[in-house]
Amino acid sequence: MARFIFRSIISTIVTMLLVSITLFILLEFERPSVAKERPCSGIIRKILGIMATPEQCVSFRNQLGIDQPLPLRYVDWLAGNDWRAESKTGYPLVTLDNLNSGEEEWWMEVDGRYMQFEIDGEDLVALVRQEDGFVEREVMNDLWRPNDDGAGEQFWGVDNKGRAVKWLLGSGKTAFISTQTGWQEIDNAPDDYLPLRKGMLRGDPGFSLRTNRPVNSQIFRRIRNTALLAGLAFAVVMPLALVLGIVAGVNEGKLIDRVISVGGLFGTATPEFVTGMLLILVFAIWLKMFPAVSVFTTDKLSLSDWKKFALPVLTLTTVELGYIIRMTRASMVEVMNTSYIRTAIIKGMPFKRVVFKHAIRNALMAPITIIMLHVNWLIGGIVVVEAIFGYPGLGTYIYDSAIFGDVNALEASAMVTVLVAVVTRLLGDLAYTYLNPRIRYS
Amino acid sequence: MTVATAKPKAPPGRFGRFLKTAAIIFESRVATIGLFMVLFWIVAGLISLVWTPHDPNASDFMINQGSSAQNWLGTDALGRDVFSRVMAGTQVILLKTRIPDINWFGSFTTPNFVMPGGVAIWGVLGSLTLGSVLGLNAGYRGGWWDQAISQVMDALIAFPRIVLYLVVIAALGTGDLVMVLAISITGAPGIARLARSLALDIKTRDYIRAAETRGEGKTYIMFKEILPNALGPLLVDAMLRVGYAIFTIGTLGFLGVGLPPPEPDWGSMIADSRKFMRSTLYPILAPAFAISSLVIGLNLFADGLREEITRFQK
Amino acid sequence: MKDKISRDQMYEIHPRIPLAHKQLEEGRITRREFVRFATLLGMSATLAVACAPADEGSGVVEDDGDMADNGVPKRGGMITIGMATDQIIDHPARLSWIEGSNVVRQVCENLTQTNPGAITVPLLLESWEANDTVDQWTLKLREGILFNDGSPFNADTVLFNFGEWLNPEVGSSMLGLLGYLDGDIGRVEKVDDLTVRLNLARPEIGVPENLFHYPSAIMKEGFGGDFIKEPIGTGPFTLEDYVPGERIVLKARSDYWGKSEDGSALPYLDGITFVDLDKDASVSALEGGEIDTFYQPRPADMAALDGADNITSNVASTSSVTVLRMRMDIEPFNDIRVYNAVKKCQDRQKILNLAWLGAGDLGADAHIAPSQPAYAPREIPELDIEGAMALMEEWSADTGNSLPLAVTLVTKNDDGEAEFAQVLKEQMDKAGFDVTLDITEAGGYWERWDEVSLGITAWTDRPLCTMLIPLAYVADAEGNPVPWNETRWVDDEFIEVFNEAAGTLDLEARRELVGKLQDIMLERAPIGIPYFKGVGSLLNSKVKNVPLSPNSYFMLHEVYMEE
Repeated sequence: MARFIFRSIISTIVTMLLVSITLFILLEFERPSVAKERPCSGIIRKILGIMATPEQCVSFRNQLGIDQPLPLRYVDWLAGNDWRAESKTGYPLVTLDNLNSGEEEWWMEVDGRYMQFEIDGEDLVALVRQEDGFVEREVMNDLWRPNDDGAGEQFWGVDNKGRAVKWLLGSGKTAFISTQTGWQEIDNAPDDYLPLRKGMLRGDPGFSLRTNRPVNSQIFRRIRNTALLAGLAFAVVMPLALVLGIVAGVNEGKLIDRVISVGGLFGTATPEFVTGMLLILVFAIWLKMFPAVSVFTTDKLSLSDWKKFALPVLTLTTVELGYIIRMTRASMVEVMNTSYIRTAIIKGMPFKRVVFKHAIRNALMAPITIIMLHVNWLIGGIVVVEAIFGYPGLGTYIYDSAIFGDVNALEASAMVTVLVAVVTRLLGDLAYTYLNPRIRYS
Repeated sequence: MTVATAKPKAPPGRFGRFLKTAAIIFESRVATIGLFMVLFWIVAGLISLVWTPHDPNASDFMINQGSSAQNWLGTDALGRDVFSRVMAGTQVILLKTRIPDINWFGSFTTPNFVMPGGVAIWGVLGSLTLGSVLGLNAGYRGGWWDQAISQVMDALIAFPRIVLYLVVIAALGTGDLVMVLAISITGAPGIARLARSLALDIKTRDYIRAAETRGEGKTYIMFKEILPNALGPLLVDAMLRVGYAIFTIGTLGFLGVGLPPPEPDWGSMIADSRKFMRSTLYPILAPAFAISSLVIGLNLFADGLREEITRFQK
Repeated sequence: MKDKISRDQMYEIHPRIPLAHKQLEEGRITRREFVRFATLLGMSATLAVACAPADEGSGVVEDDGDMADNGVPKRGGMITIGMATDQIIDHPARLSWIEGSNVVRQVCENLTQTNPGAITVPLLLESWEANDTVDQWTLKLREGILFNDGSPFNADTVLFNFGEWLNPEVGSSMLGLLGYLDGDIGRVEKVDDLTVRLNLARPEIGVPENLFHYPSAIMKEGFGGDFIKEPIGTGPFTLEDYVPGERIVLKARSDYWGKSEDGSALPYLDGITFVDLDKDASVSALEGGEIDTFYQPRPADMAALDGADNITSNVASTSSVTVLRMRMDIEPFNDIRVYNAVKKCQDRQKILNLAWLGAGDLGADAHIAPSQPAYAPREIPELDIEGAMALMEEWSADTGNSLPLAVTLVTKNDDGEAEFAQVLKEQMDKAGFDVTLDITEAGGYWERWDEVSLGITAWTDRPLCTMLIPLAYVADAEGNPVPWNETRWVDDEFIEVFNEAAGTLDLEARRELVGKLQDIMLERAPIGIPYFKGVGSLLNSKVKNVPLSPNSYFMLHEVYMEE
């Protein structure tokens, strides 16, 4: 048993690694020729706008760090790159919370003080963080170091956008920065960028390309919202489906079985979006019983908010019900046909008692564990339901990120769904093994 | 095998085998009903290739009209005939796949080549091929092959299906071929699992031993000995997957990332008509009914077939 | 209504006003044009309105678009607005989307404000003055305004903000708009603590309007470049909660400087909640009362809620447009007969009806909209299949090409273009063309928008035609088409007339020149413009006093809600 658990966990970890590699390659691989010949394609175009020039796009790619080789970027993404940046800056890099927005910001620790840097003409200006969270400007020209090729001076520091930046001074080189008004050539401008991140393993998926805010500042509330919706749906679906499944299974072949089975099949075979829309039409537009959209104007839920959950939960219920009924029914039928149940019935034990005392307990093992194995199937339904009702959960987050091409957000949220699916499957496997003596002892 | 020996007469020819399979279908009432539901849509699609009541893409009528003698299912928000569009909607799913010009922009352009067989069909064929090859190798060869393939399949299966679709679309854009690819990738792990378990079971049979003793190669055994005997369950499973694929194409169409216009696509039809649901329901109900009935048909057909095959094999 | 003033008194305000007033009285310019012109030159809005009596009587109310009822404003309540909240908001000067500016606008304010009806009034300014040659503007600042962190608003603040707009490293689109400052902060001069003078490189009348452009919110001196981390402004609301892609909550400020007309404290509302909803969901939410209004409803949304009893709807004309454009440097559109034949195939009313559900103004192939000042009314050309066919036959006989001519019409599908293309194809197929449609999602089109030979491109609203034409229909100094000139059309006479028009301050003369531009475009520019989009607004009827902005700006400081 211990060995089985150990193997399962190792396999789960390997699965997660494979998933992360697949995701990363799918979303971030780009033919080198495209990057070279069409630097403005895809997401770059989306962020910089349709009128961006190729030079702007190249500069922007540098600022995003996507001009680096894919394997290196994968390591950055997985394990962070602050350690790599520290070797360039020569000072420790730390993250501190912004007192106003609560977002993490990168600071460079110089002689016990936290600094970010900017260039003002020829001067290197440090923004020194004060106790109250505000900054004081201070010229720090003694931090300039000789340039790599000895032609001038350079400095690797942190700017106020969470990037390690290399500035050049007096090298005679000009650098380019891209702005919305066009392509600007300026002296002493940033020459190289390394967007800092701690990496997925340390819980930092980086910045959302869509909002330019840390993915972390959004994704946790989305996960919480989705967990709430899924939990409510689960609480409604499970008892209902199990009861109906048992009733159908006990009455195999009878009218009630047919009604339940066919009804379940229709529920399952009708796409979520159709079910959702019909429910909106009936309950929101015609009957005006429930709101058609889940609008939350505050984070604090009150009891009266239950109506906002009614239609999404009802949609999920309709769609998922059929599947679980089918599982339960099949399991129930199987159990009812086993010899010990038949014997019990033939021996004259009251039918009800047989069903409630013996059959159900045995019949429920299988569906419950199988449901655990199918959590990712449920997640799929949630994505669509959230999209229909404008519910601010992980599903809409994934959808919006995918539409925009916000790879950082999409990778993080897809990893979360996979993690949930893999962990529940692991638990399902373990439960199944534990409950099924034939496997346990083999 | 048992089938052949049970019959003392000469082994039936190709046509005879077909008739026998057909007979199996008709023995099951469920499968028969399912088959007719599926056939209904295939026929509707075939007819739509040559004739629809009106041009499905032409805005010939007043917008958002209800049912009338002229437009049996009314018109949509662009004044197009809903009935014709629902008929023609079968095409991209079951009957034709549009191959775009490959260009550097990665965007699809007007298809200059149309391949027979719809997106759902090619997608499932893709996952059937990919899944069978991987599953047979994993099951028959075992050992490291099994470990490696199963691990990769586990990783793929861990993705909620719709999430993986969205990831693929975010990476590659939309289009018929991308959809085929996405269906293939998402379907392959399930088929591979099934193929693996079938291979594990079949490889213990005597005729495999015999082939091994004859000195046949592993590839030969996998594809000539195991595959034909695993094909039945695999095909039934594939049938179910065509249902899932149609479902998913509809869902993605509804989310606005489905098959490209101008050909009608049921999911997109529903999405486009959503904002008019207060005034007209036909453009929503008709394609919704189409998706549901086709999926239910495929489900019933597959279920019935599976039941009959298992009974037959007993 | 106040009394009129004499021409001499007008002259006191600005020497150019009396002439405009004369033109108004002789009916050569519209009332709306006069009011805009006079207020820009420093006349107060009430005075300008008084000097321009409404001839049809109802003109004032319609033009002002002010939904003021005469009820007594109620205090309190949160307004909930459906709007995308997920795009980048960092430096307000760098904003490139109106939705973001709608959040910033509640917290930070502009120096001026352009009200519906094109009347620009001072906001953070007390008043402004232009010199006789309109190339020196003196801005007088309002005294005693405090930012929500207690720091004062003064000339240094204004100088700092001009510095940000003109700094190329900030990357504000204000830099291009303030082209008359030549990117030189030296032209912005602090006279005293509450006076700033702008010394323009060339005369410009639109300065006060430009100071209301959406990226020109006034930030505190020393602003670090991220609004979310420093949400400090002079406006009536403060940033309470920011969850991009979900919601943004603003709370009313108790010490806001602004007062209503009767002197009571503003704002009336307790706060604003922006919730992130797509348009389909917004329609349902508005109908169900979950939200009170939402950003830029599409025509379909307007139609969906048409006649709903608790909803007020309005449509404003804009210069947003989808342009059917042909590249005149590529076969076959290098022949004027071919592109004019295409232009004749536009069934304008049908295109407007299907693509924009009839909510808009018909166009006559000139990229100058009825909503822009100086637009000269022109007759709308009819669909002319025979005329188009005749041109094509002539072309075919001349060049030896056979008909029908196979062409591919490329466009995207998110802004009514697909419907436009569909209608056009139907007609073109009757007139000697064989059209293949190539319709992609937006990204697919923007990858190649200036490369395709026949396409439909969406252009967004610009308040003045002088802001658009230099982008799209002229050549650079070497005579090559400018980068956004998607048709490569360069017409010497057109450019000459345009330059003349841009330098003309007199309204009547200017309109005559603009009319000439419109005629040239109709006659020989390779563009077809069947309609200009109307942009709607949908509002729960309990929300009162909402100014209707053609740009979909939300201006909420005097809005109140009736329960």
